[in-house]
Amino acid sequence: MLPSSTVENYLKAIYQGASALTPPQRLLPMGHLASALGVVPGTATTMVKALAESGLVEYEPYSGVALTPAGHKLAALVLRRHRLVELFLVRVMGYAWDEVHDEAEQLEHVVSDRLIDRMDEMLGRPEVDPHGDPIPNADGQVKPQESQTLMTCPIGAPVRVTRVVDQDSAFLRFVDRHHLKPGAAIQVEERDASADSVRVRGEGDRLITIGTRAASKLLVQVTRAALLLLLAALPALAQDAKKAPALRTNLSGYMDFHYNKPEFADGSLDFHRFVLLVTHSFSDRIRFVSEVEIEHALVEGGEEKGELELEQAYVDFLFSRGFNVRAGMVLMPVGIINERHEPPVYYGVERPFVDTVIVPTTWFETGVGVHGEIGRGWRYRGFVTAPLNAAEFSADEGVREGVQHGSEANTGRVATTGRLEYVGVRGLTLGVSGWSGRSGFEFRPRFDVPVKLAEGDARYARNRFEGRLQFAQVWIDNADLLNDALIRRVGVNPNIGRVLRGFYTEGGYRFIEGARFGDVGAFGRYENFDTQHRMAPGGIRLPQFDRDAWVFGATYWPDADIAIKADYSVVRNRSTVIRAPNAFNLGLGWWF
Amino acid sequence: MVVLMRGVHASLLLAGAAALTASVVSFARGAQTDAPRQVVEITAERFTFTPSEVKTKAGTVLDIRLRSDDTAHGFHIVGTDVDLELPKRGKGVATVTFTPKAGRYTFECSQLCGAGHEFMRGVIVASE
Repeated sequence: MLPSSTVENYLKAIYQGASALTPPQRLLPMGHLASALGVVPGTATTMVKALAESGLVEYEPYSGVALTPAGHKLAALVLRRHRLVELFLVRVMGYAWDEVHDEAEQLEHVVSDRLIDRMDEMLGRPEVDPHGDPIPNADGQVKPQESQTLMTCPIGAPVRVTRVVDQDSAFLRFVDRHHLKPGAAIQVEERDASADSVRVRGEGDRLITIGTRAASKLLVQVTRAALLLLLAALPALAQDAKKAPALRTNLSGYMDFHYNKPEFADGSLDFHRFVLLVTHSFSDRIRFVSEVEIEHALVEGGEEKGELELEQAYVDFLFSRGFNVRAGMVLMPVGIINERHEPPVYYGVERPFVDTVIVPTTWFETGVGVHGEIGRGWRYRGFVTAPLNAAEFSADEGVREGVQHGSEANTGRVATTGRLEYVGVRGLTLGVSGWSGRSGFEFRPRFDVPVKLAEGDARYARNRFEGRLQFAQVWIDNADLLNDALIRRVGVNPNIGRVLRGFYTEGGYRFIEGARFGDVGAFGRYENFDTQHRMAPGGIRLPQFDRDAWVFGATYWPDADIAIKADYSVVRNRSTVIRAPNAFNLGLGWWF
Repeated sequence: MVVLMRGVHASLLLAGAAALTASVVSFARGAQTDAPRQVVEITAERFTFTPSEVKTKAGTVLDIRLRSDDTAHGFHIVGTDVDLELPKRGKGVATVTFTPKAGRYTFECSQLCGAGHEFMRGVIVASE
């Protein structure tokens, strides 16, 4: 049997009233309680006597009332419900913080413990509500807070607002208007008793003057920066600490661990990618970004093992949203996957075949260029980079091995690449990309191997659904001269195609979303790709390079940044002799 | 003995759900203050804010409500102290109020979120 809302309101009022008492005073005077509840003292006394009979309070006539341990726990649980509901309404439902108190007053009496526990979990076990009030745990215990009011904190010391003790919506709007909400970094400049006012320096050096009554309702804590200031007398360091959000170094990364079992072959475990990103902001306008990747876990000199790659290492000079300059090792802005390849963001253990043999992801190269966004979602990127090396092209993998990766890259004839993208509708990305460069620099006598790539893609992800479509085509001019030159070098005709073409379409759906254990989605993808779509005179078109793939699978996200994947790929080619193996793949990928 | 009981039955759960639903409806009402207010809902996803351009009048109190469709992102208005973290997909909404003077304010993701993190920018345009 559970207490009524009236009982809960009395217990809550006693709890809150008692918290304002100064020891050794232990009993809350009945007049205070009646005033807090808006009833006459006689009504309050009658109710308190009944509560005493039930063992929830101690009542001493003419002295006051105090909660028993049982009453204290019940009151704390009411406050727990109230404060979690308030936080839920603000964080999840988008309420303003001055709108939630009245709603929570109603809901605190009707929501079940189970619902409250789910809210608590969903909100990440918060310790305070939107007003900074501490949230009791499920046992009714509260983490002690050490705070001062704006009337008692040190003058001139940086403090942070931690709590607003008056829940009146007009007062909350006043606090909001003056940027004094919990979290605001401020300092008291002056207290003027004669004028009954407190002058506060707020964020952005804004000066605010408030009354002493309002100041006494704002609780603050001295910030770490201020403690440093006070303890070490290092004002410059304290200033730097305040600016830390803009001037920081970040470490992040993603990993991709796979099990691959091709048909007719043994399975293999492969730590496919271990990638660390280190970024540093020199200022709001100048940023450094790097991405270092170890592929296949092991790098040994001269052996066919893994790779240690510097995939990104550039400096961004951010002039405006519409115009920025980037220089260093940059990702080619081509296709969906090349710039968007964190494992939890795409379906399938392995990347699409088209993004492997037609668009050579991860495609990175040294260069310099510009990028920006104009209007409501129109983006551009354009770079001048080192070109591909045609001497490394192959019939099987197209231009993939021709990427110079910024390793003493030849720039006798530079390449240009660019992308135009529309992202103005939520969940939708439409893009076209191009790359053009002369790639025959390694041959003597030198001859041109102009290479062009055109690509178009669409991606739509909204709610549970995600769909992708991508088409890419590569033209290798003078492919006949290239094949002849390679015949002279290696003795056999590599049969490099004149046109390479591929496309894929993919659909995925999260059929479980928001469950306690995470999300689950399934997908299907069809790909068609041919690295010898058109041949130059003298070339022999080999049917095994004209391929289709159907890939089906599922992904389980226990967290938005962790993906456990399984898929099966069926690959078919036009050859009657050489068969492409199907494969079963398992993967664990994460981002942090 | 006090006999004031709170029965936890399906009816009360339904009442709670109904109250929550009513609360959703009241969400549209917004808070009433002297200054004009404008609710701005922004979705963050690698590597885009949607919408990435917000137009308003100077002095309008922007109630900015941010939600992520994937990982945790940040929301920083360059040149101001507005810098908050957006919870991951399905973990709730981050809210902040901002009252711009006339001008253009670039906002950006302030939490490293992937290879294209630096592209994640937008602008608030406040006109006179």
